[in-house]
Amino acid sequence: MTQRTAAKKTGKPRVAGLPYFTFRRMADGSVLLSNDAGFSAALSKADFARFSSGRLGAGEALYGELAAKGFVREMTDFESYAAACSKKNAFLGAGPGLHILVMTLRCNHKCLYCQSGALGAAGARTDMSAATARKCVDFALKSTNPGITIEFQGGEPLLNWKTLKDTALYARRRGGELNREVRLALVSNFSLMSEEKARFLVENEVSVCTSLDGPADLHNKNRIFTGGNSHADTVKWLGYFAARAAKQVPEYKTFNPSALLTVSKYSLGREKEIVDEYVRRGLADIFVRPLAPIGYARNLWPRIGYSAEEFARFYRNTLDYILELNAAGKKIKERHAVIMLEKIVNGGDPGYLDMRCPCGAAVGQVAYNYNGDLYTCDEGRMVGWEGDDLFRIGNVLKDSYRKVMLAPASRACAAASNLEAQPQCSRCVYKPYCGVCPVYNYETQGSLWGDMPASGRCALSLGMFDALFGLLKKPASAGILKGWVQK
Amino acid sequence: MSKNIAIRVSLKKYSLESVRYAAHSLGGLAYALIKPLPGGRVLVDLSPRPGSGAAAGLAERFRRELEDEKLRERVSSANRELREFLLLKALNYRPKPPEKDDSGLTPQQEKELNDLIAQIEGEIKAETAKGASADPLGITSTWEEKYDSKNGRKKNR
Repeated sequence: MTQRTAAKKTGKPRVAGLPYFTFRRMADGSVLLSNDAGFSAALSKADFARFSSGRLGAGEALYGELAAKGFVREMTDFESYAAACSKKNAFLGAGPGLHILVMTLRCNHKCLYCQSGALGAAGARTDMSAATARKCVDFALKSTNPGITIEFQGGEPLLNWKTLKDTALYARRRGGELNREVRLALVSNFSLMSEEKARFLVENEVSVCTSLDGPADLHNKNRIFTGGNSHADTVKWLGYFAARAAKQVPEYKTFNPSALLTVSKYSLGREKEIVDEYVRRGLADIFVRPLAPIGYARNLWPRIGYSAEEFARFYRNTLDYILELNAAGKKIKERHAVIMLEKIVNGGDPGYLDMRCPCGAAVGQVAYNYNGDLYTCDEGRMVGWEGDDLFRIGNVLKDSYRKVMLAPASRACAAASNLEAQPQCSRCVYKPYCGVCPVYNYETQGSLWGDMPASGRCALSLGMFDALFGLLKKPASAGILKGWVQK
Repeated sequence: MSKNIAIRVSLKKYSLESVRYAAHSLGGLAYALIKPLPGGRVLVDLSPRPGSGAAAGLAERFRRELEDEKLRERVSSANRELREFLLLKALNYRPKPPEKDDSGLTPQQEKELNDLIAQIEGEIKAETAKGASADPLGITSTWEEKYDSKNGRKKNR
């Protein structure tokens, strides 16, 4: 019996015959559906009306498409639906994979949007000692995650090079002894990079990531470096690492360098110049990241901040231009889109801790402050530096792994970032791909829980998802976007 | 001068839950106060947030949200048990091993094996039930506790 005949017989819509789904009415009048397995479908307004009232005929092509994605209750294949749910939530119970070691709070830059609570370059009071760093590595290796990443951060981590070097060697040795997969990563502004340091990093398979905010004038306006030219240092060493990656040797794997773009008010309207700068530097992708009104950026928000609508426009323009370049044969991707497409198109988990349910706090990542204090994440550590230790979950010198995982902040963040318990998120069509940040909520709205309809982060995420799903509806752009995550 | 928007909603047509969700969804634009009225109705008092500039069209938007929430609620309540079943299945999902054509066992041996498996499964179930609320995903376990690091120790020797 088709839904159409059933609806005619009773004279009532067969809503009870619909499976669980969420939906969103899009600006162009279409309606987007999604379900727990992460499948999505875009319907015209008329088709959605027929679908939601049970008047879609079994013989229709749309019926077949929806049935295959679990949107027809009678046709749901429990086994494949559960498999898809399981795949997209594979991170549950995996243990923290990202371990952020803050080598020092000192920094020689004074970036306008800095959240990290960095101090001046002088004095070593906030440098992590080699002994503490080794304890951090030992702690990270207790994680049940099969592959862990140890990320050296700051401040500017190269200001504590001796400890960084010792820790990298120790992590490599311990990883080998325990037969564990250990990835090493460095986030640096490159201003203190030297040939010797760069060689060590390459030979020890430490991947490098920096910030590149666009052409020199824009980059240097955001990233103030009184000791020199930040942009010049950045592009010099990006070039060095890219050249090394291009000449692989059998002894070790050399990674391509990567860069992050932090969008400030000064970036708006300069989308093409920024993307062109990334292409010029030979970077394979650009990670468009919005500013958050927390840390140092909060005080300067009127000067460097923007509305969610302004960011959405920037993001959409950037994506449009990147797609234009792709169509012309240039290879560059937007990393936020890649992360989301991995979820939307492949149904996988790309391991992005900021956008998942629950968020990565403690269960996906741990931030290790210079003194061994442990935090749910690096943002939580920054709140601690401002004098509020709500997100502190222990100390690596004193506390057991179990105690840290059971810390009140670990549990509170997991509960607060459960989208199923958020009134707005639980009904949002982007729920299968999204995530909330308890630290952002706490900093901007005064509660871990937050209030999503009034949240700037929620508005930013909606804008990005709207842009992406809008492009996925167009065959030409969909082809390029799907190609970015083709296995 | 008050710019509040008052909307009367019949609880015979919409549940209070739908009214709450619809009002909450406008939380970025307006504050909402829901008051009971006689005759099975409620008054939704929407007070636009300063600077949101949202007063115009707010009532219409609320009505649209209310219709959508009604559908969401019906879909959600109609599928609650099925959803729980599917999510539980997903959490415990293990890919099926490829099926073998012939086990090579006699019917009697197969029965004995099945009885043994059932007995072990019962024991596991009882054990799991004891500690089910504690840490079902093993989040508090270390690598050594979960996987046993015998391999690593051997390497060290």
